[in-house]
Parts: sequence; C-alpha cells; structure tokens
Amino acid sequence: MEKAKINAYQLFVLIVLFELGSALMVPLAIEAKQDAWLVILIGMGGGLFLYLIYYSLYYYYPDIPSTEYVQKIMGTTLGRIIAFFYVVYFVYLAARVLRNFGEMLVTFAYPETPLFVINALLIVLVIYTVRKGIEVLSRTGEFLFVFMSFLLISASILVVVGGIIDSNNLRPILADGIQPVMKTVLMHNLYFPFGEVVVFTMILPYLNRSEKAKRTGLMAIGLCGLILSLITAVNISVLGVSLVSRSQYPLLSTIQTVEVAGFLERLDVYFVLAVVIGVFVKIAVFFYVAMEGAANLFAVKESARLVVPIGVVILILSIAVASNFSEFFQEEHRFVHFYVHLPFQVIIPIFLLIIAFFKNRKKSKG
Amino acid sequence: MKRRWMFLFLMLISLLFLSGCWSKKELPELAIISAVGIDKNEEGKFVKTHQFINPNNVAGGLQGGGGGQGPSVSVYTSTGDNILEAHFRASTKVSRRLYHSHANLLVISEEVAREEGIQDILDAFERDPEIRTTMTIVIAKGRKAGDIITSLTSIDRIPAEKVNKTLETTEKMFGEHIKVSIQESISILESSGRELVITGFRQKGDSEKGKKLENIQNSELDATLEADGLAIFKEGKLIDWFHDEDARGVVWILDKVKETNVNIDWEKKKDAIAYQVIRQKTKVSADVKNGKPAITIHVRAEGDIREVVVPVDLTDPKVIANIEKGLGKEIEKELKDSINLAQKNKSDIFGFGETVQRSYPDAWRKMKNNWHDVTFPDLKVNVKVEAFIRRTGLRTNSYLSQMEINR
Repeated sequence: MEKAKINAYQLFVLIVLFELGSALMVPLAIEAKQDAWLVILIGMGGGLFLYLIYYSLYYYYPDIPSTEYVQKIMGTTLGRIIAFFYVVYFVYLAARVLRNFGEMLVTFAYPETPLFVINALLIVLVIYTVRKGIEVLSRTGEFLFVFMSFLLISASILVVVGGIIDSNNLRPILADGIQPVMKTVLMHNLYFPFGEVVVFTMILPYLNRSEKAKRTGLMAIGLCGLILSLITAVNISVLGVSLVSRSQYPLLSTIQTVEVAGFLERLDVYFVLAVVIGVFVKIAVFFYVAMEGAANLFAVKESARLVVPIGVVILILSIAVASNFSEFFQEEHRFVHFYVHLPFQVIIPIFLLIIAFFKNRKKSKG
Repeated sequence: MKRRWMFLFLMLISLLFLSGCWSKKELPELAIISAVGIDKNEEGKFVKTHQFINPNNVAGGLQGGGGGQGPSVSVYTSTGDNILEAHFRASTKVSRRLYHSHANLLVISEEVAREEGIQDILDAFERDPEIRTTMTIVIAKGRKAGDIITSLTSIDRIPAEKVNKTLETTEKMFGEHIKVSIQESISILESSGRELVITGFRQKGDSEKGKKLENIQNSELDATLEADGLAIFKEGKLIDWFHDEDARGVVWILDKVKETNVNIDWEKKKDAIAYQVIRQKTKVSADVKNGKPAITIHVRAEGDIREVVVPVDLTDPKVIANIEKGLGKEIEKELKDSINLAQKNKSDIFGFGETVQRSYPDAWRKMKNNWHDVTFPDLKVNVKVEAFIRRTGLRTNSYLSQMEINR
C-alpha cells in the first residue's frame, strides 16, 4: 500500500465516474424491454446491499486492502490464492472495458484505425495516471467530474428541449409481470455495473476519515442508479425498445436524434466525451487496484514498478479477449456476468464476511 | 542530460500523434452527397442515384448570380446487387471520396416500394456510422427516384434541401404530409401494431427539362417537385395512396397536425366558411371489453374564422356555437373517412394496435397475429371532435352581410 490519503468527496467522485464508465455506453438491462429502468433501480438496491457487505469487511479491517485481509481471514495460503484470483479478475475487467471502448471508437468514428492503436493510446494515458498514484487519480476524478456533470446536465436539457421524448414507448409497465425484471436483475444488472464496486474494497483503506465510508459509498451508488435509470428511460422513450435492443450504443443514437432549433444537432461529441471520461476512470481504477494487489501479493516494495508490465498485459488481453464484437458481447452476457461476477462480487465477499464475523467475535470475547 | 533526451523523445512522439489524424478527410477530397435515390433496373439490380453538392455553384447563389456557372448539384448513378455495392460502384465515376454524413434525403421509387417493399433497403442506411438515421424518406410518386434527384429547383438551390423544407413547411401549415425519418420508419416496420406512412413526392413536368440549368432560369419552372399524397404501406410494401382530406385525416389522428384549414358548408352554400386551426391535440385511447377492442379518438381544436363567403352573423355567440358544431362534424367525417379507407386496405397506419398494446398487453398478445387482417378492419372507432372558434380576424361580420341589408 502506498502512503496516500483521499477524502470522502474524492471517493464519491471516483465511485460515480467508475460506475457510469462503460455503463453509459452499452444498452443496460434491455432484456427486460421497456422495464429496463426499473431493473436498474432494483439493481441499484442490490448494489447498495453489496456495498454494505464490502463496507462491513472494511469495518473489520479498516487499514488494509482486500487482498491483504483475505489472507488474514482465510489463512496465508488459501488467502493468497483468492487474492491472486482477484488481481486476475481486476486485470481481466480492465481489459474488457478497454476493449469495449476501443470497439466503440472503431465502429463509430475511426473505421480505418486498428483497434490496437486506439487501445494503446488510452492505456498509455492510464499508465501515466496510475503511476502517479491514487491521490492524483482522485484529483483527476474531481476535475473530470465537473465536466461529466456539465455534459449530463446540458445533454438532458437538449434532449428535453428537442421534444424527442415519447413516454408512450415506456408503456406497458410490467407487461409480463415482475419475473423477467427480477431475472434480468439477478442475471445481469446486479453485477454490471453495480457489483463492480467490489474494487473499492481495495481503495477504502486510503480514505482519511473512515466513518464517512458508508454514507459516501451508498450515496454514490444511489446517484449512479438514478442517472443510469434515467438515461435508460430516455433512450427507450426516444428510440423505442426494439431500436435500443438492436443498438450497440443506444445513448449515441439518442444524442444523434437531438435537433434543437435547426442548428444544435449532431452532438455525437457529447457521447464520446462522457464515455472517454467514464472509461478512463474505470480502467484506471481497475488498473490501480490490480497493481496494488499484485505488489502486495508478491511483496514488491515499489508498486509503481509494476505499472508497465500490467499495462502491457491489459493491452494485449484487451485485443485477445475476443476475435469480433459479437463474440465479445455474447461472452459478456452469457458468461462474465453470471459465472465471473457472481462469485467475485457476491459469493466470496459474503463468505469472507461470515468468517470475519466469527473470528472477530472470538477475539473481542477473548 | 537524461531529462533532455526524454524531453526530445516526447516531442518527437507528439509530432507523430498530433500532426494529423489517422483517417483524415479533407474537404476538397470529399464529394458531399445531399440526397440518395433508389430505383431498380430491368435486370433487378438496384440503381442508386447520388446527388452531389457543387460547393462553388451554391455559394452566393441567393444574391443572384454570384456563384459559378454550373448547376448547384451534380448527379451520378451506379448499379449494384445491393445498396452497398451500388454505393461503392459509384466511385468508378466520382473523382472524390463519397461522403454521406450530410445526406438528408432518401428517395425510393414507387415501383420499388410497391413490388419489393422498402425493408431490403434500409438496413444499409441504419448500420453505417457515417449515415444519419434522421435522414428523411420520401416516395417518388409515379416516377423514378432518379427523376426527383436530378430535378433542379429554384429558391432553394439544393433539391434535397427544397424537398425537406417543403415537407417541414407543409406539415406545419397544411397538415396533409408528414416528414418521416429512416429511424421512425424502421421502428414502425418492426412494430406489430402499426404500419408505415410516407409522403410521396412528384415531379411535375418534363424530367429531361428538369435536369437543365435553363429550368431554373424561368419564372415558372418546366419541372417542379411537389409533395403529393401519403403512401400507405402494408408489411413494408406500398399498397395505396391517400390524398387531400384522407391524407389529412391520417396526419390528424397521428397528432401531427399543427395548423390547417377546414371548410364547412353554410346555408346550402358549399365550403362557405373557412376555419383555421391554430392548435390542436388528438388523444387516442383503447378499451378492451370481452376481448373486443375499441378505439376512442378525442380531438380538441382551437382556431379562427379566416374567410366567409356567405352573410353570417359572426357577432352572435349562438351562431358561433353552431359553426363550432358544424366544424366538429366536418372534422369527424374527415377522420372517419380516412379510418374507413385504411380499414379497407387492412393496414393500421394509425398505430391503434400499439395503443391497445400499451394499455392492454395481455389482450394484445391474443390479437397480435391477425390484427391487421382480421381485427383492425372491423375495429370500432369512436371519434369525438371539439372545435373552438376563438377569434374572427380583424373584422366581425363580412361586408357581404352589409350588402345584403342594403340591397
């Protein structure tokens, strides 16, 4: 762990930008058709619950990151194995986000530029930031958050003023009952994007006032849930369910539909800026925790020395992870959400919490 | 020393990345497409007609002859087995890179729309990141799409602009045509409870003359473009045209009418009173009783009296109330006529199916499959129209009233 401290506001900003990150880009929860916004709200509830689990673990071990307390809870050998898998998990997710971002730029703006070049440019930037440590990353986050708020607020105004919202597209509500909604929550939405806050188990120890961790995290997740739910509702009401479900990037299509006063149109840059900000923070956070975890695990004194090797691994993994976009997308939906996210975000933390609870009870009694 | 080398290295790297862009497209290397037309030739291949803007000849044109000597647009055609092939084949004729981002008009010929349907055409337009799906679609009525594309226009120098602006203006002022974009068309094509309506455009006059620059040097053009009728689709194929009041009925039920004029008869004189709608709101709601759907349309229109050709006492509130009643009936008749015509065509262009689906998703699931062919043609539709007269212009009674008194 490096010697650094971040304050509660910086943590809030990091969580918000991290959660919005790639979730702004892709169609969220569209399996539930016009009830997608509801799925996201329920998913947010689940996310708040998951955060409480992570927070409880932090409460028991406020000074060490999760890769370290795993070893205290499970014993050194087993703990190290689990911590190692977490590091791999973070690297893998960073690579997936990077790939998703690169695919977006290639599809939409740079059809002739190789994916590798786009991914490499972004990872160079992330390497630079991560090398500077968590404090710089959080301050960058604070700065970008202002931009992001401006983009979101002005884009909402433009969409509303443009008169393209047709709320009829959101009806009927719960046409097939609550079942498909809950299924989508449990299969996808709980894990992406909400469950991904599991990475903050690695960052919470840097918080300067630990009593603020609970409130800040819950507020950040709540805000993201509302924003994402609203964006999904707007996407569906502007484009209609079927178009959203066929879109690679529904928010982009929504923004492209905006035409205000005959000259405020073709606002694609809004989408690209928002996504670049979000994705940058998301990859940087994944990258940073993977680096810290690895340094901790392999007893590397100066964690910044790992930055280039891990960066290269993320870059190459982002290219190798799938051979085309359909494969990438299907993998995400059929495999990653349920079989990768569920154990890392829900099962292992709950398991750890139960053991931590008994261990610490014994301690306080003794 | 080491720092210095690092600095130099960074400078060189920046030079590499900042000096230009990867796929740069300089303006002089682009052929900007303003409109695209789709036809089919005898061999069954797609014929794609591109209208390119000649930037030199557009600039300053409005000031009268400030621009170049040639026409403001150039047209090239190319053929292919699908849209994309036709698109790429055009590069054998055009010296510059085809640039699609500014195209805002897609013309499809009536023949293609009738025989093949439009569903095979739109995917290429939706998928391409360079093409805007907010592009307008029109049907070339009775002619080839190429004729619409090649026709030169006055006032607005770029024909694509002319078509778009005409549609916008007439939709606002007259309400018999609607502007439909690719995106809207696709979402209607996908929907099981609604069929497509697209405005037709017609070239009036000689298409050969329309291509020539002399065409726009006359005060009355030899060949003009005008919006004419609404094309009614069923399962992506054009089946019928709606004109005049029938067309307006459709636009009205879709709640797209902003301003329009309605004439009613008065004391045996035909179309004696002209009423201008200033604002209106149409609400469509659905009811399902015993598995049988019924639709209620509620129109609330406000407007002014704009023309009277009979002596009628407009100062009397009772007379106004009577006129309002007459107007309500007239509008109701118009809407019912268009509904009947659509029911005869078995094509639910009003989206009544979608309305049922929104309010009664369970009942809809049972009707969905034979909605257009069985349920819709016998659908019971109640139309309620409330028309309000707010003002009568700068005069109260017409001079005709005074003439009658003095006679």
